[in-house]
Amino acid sequence: MSPAHHRFWAELHGAVLDLLPTLPYAPAETATPSGVAVWAEGLAASARPDGVLAFSEAACEIPVGCRTALVGPNGSGKSTLLRILAGLIPPRAGAVKVLGASPALGRRRVAYLAQRPDLTPDFPITLRRLVQTGKYAHHGWFEECGHGDEEVDQALRLLELSDLADRAVHSLSGGQLQRALLARATVQRAELLLLDEPYAALDLASRGIVERFLTDRTRPFTVVMATHDPADARRSDQVLELREGSLRLIHACAGHDHRHA
Amino acid sequence: MRAPGTTTAMLDSLLAPLREEFFLRALAAVVLSGVTCACLGAYVVLRRMAFVSTALTHSILPGVVGALLLGISPYLGALAAALLTAAGAAWLASRRGTSEDSAIGVMLSVMFAGGIALMQQAHSWRDFTGLLFGSVVSVGPADLLVVGLTALVVLLSLRALHKELELAAFDEEYARLLGARPGLLRAVLLALVALGAVACVRLVGALLTTALFVIPAATGVLLGRTLPRVMAWGACVAVGGGIGGLYLSYHVPSVPSGAGIVLCCALPYLLARVFAPRR
Repeated sequence: MSPAHHRFWAELHGAVLDLLPTLPYAPAETATPSGVAVWAEGLAASARPDGVLAFSEAACEIPVGCRTALVGPNGSGKSTLLRILAGLIPPRAGAVKVLGASPALGRRRVAYLAQRPDLTPDFPITLRRLVQTGKYAHHGWFEECGHGDEEVDQALRLLELSDLADRAVHSLSGGQLQRALLARATVQRAELLLLDEPYAALDLASRGIVERFLTDRTRPFTVVMATHDPADARRSDQVLELREGSLRLIHACAGHDHRHA
Repeated sequence: MRAPGTTTAMLDSLLAPLREEFFLRALAAVVLSGVTCACLGAYVVLRRMAFVSTALTHSILPGVVGALLLGISPYLGALAAALLTAAGAAWLASRRGTSEDSAIGVMLSVMFAGGIALMQQAHSWRDFTGLLFGSVVSVGPADLLVVGLTALVVLLSLRALHKELELAAFDEEYARLLGARPGLLRAVLLALVALGAVACVRLVGALLTTALFVIPAATGVLLGRTLPRVMAWGACVAVGGGIGGLYLSYHVPSVPSGAGIVLCCALPYLLARVFAPRR
């Protein structure tokens, strides 16, 4: 299609959408920043609503900007804890605050990456479009999101995906997909990244790119990352361990800029 | 070289139907419902909802026959029956022990059995072949209006909700995380499929309507790299196959229009299946 055609269709589409009201997906957040990204007390949870408790009486405090590793054996509840913080499942007991408010769906400041992203196989969508969906967090129902956006380009460059931007998502490797999802979280401008074993599917090249991104001190986000790798834990500011039903602080985040200085 | 007579005869076989008012109405209806069903069908195919769309379209049968017995508009009856099927399947599947697949299977067969029972009641005074397999002569001016309005509602809804429907179909969990209500979007999609199915029942018939959702979109998936392109390819196949089917049915009266349309849509699908580059 010629640019003129594109403009015509874009204007026609815009005209349809202009007739409709704009509704946010969720109410705007009003919590004031307090320096604490995650706070929990007496937390108990199970993976399924009526299942066995994975842990109970868990308490933790994660300062804003802290890169936290969440370690523990398989089945100890690492994924469950991350899913609670993301608002995907409710805790069975206890209190928890994420960026000053209870975890809930529709929290644009929070991004969650599952261990195995559950994407519809063979869906006709390009990598650029996938990254662009991160912008939806700042747009509501019936609102157009700009194409070819500078913010999307920046995120693609940051995770070294620019060359792959027009590739179909289903043709990407696990590592490329993981980077695309991180790029989406960047476009979403998430302040808290909840990552479930982000390095599990990565080859060395992707691993280096993701590691540089997550440990870049100029980025103000907070990271909570489930991991099995002791080396990842060592590189983190703070280490929390889930073991035998309880959450322990192994290494505290103390003025979290000394490590990577 | 062909004899001039053959060319004239071919041209005449193309032009003659166009002089019939009912054929022009059928053409307009098949273009509108083809585009509608192909665009909806992209979601049906990509979300693997072919079975539920079959259930919705088959449940039109008891809806229409019931409406005729009650003396109300067949479109209202068909829509009510399709929505009842969708709601019933969702309710049956909401409890443990019944998978969504079985729930749809139950609703499909129960509704269809009800339709057959009702048809026997009404059989003495009506022929239902057109309802089952479609009929090219049956599209009246009022039917064309219904098809047009339905196309308008469905296509505007798809446009207004495009980014949400696309996201929920591709990455349901992210849609949930954003608060974009993927459950609600699925219900909206089912309601739109019910609407679309009701709109093309006159031409394609209750038994074959599901093909108009599945075959063009399945062709589109083979040819298009983005969702809008899948829809565009699907619309081309549906409109082309629809027009071809109407001509087939016009010239070979023993072929009901629904059967003609489905066969003419299946041809491009087969060609795409064989010749489309592997993605």
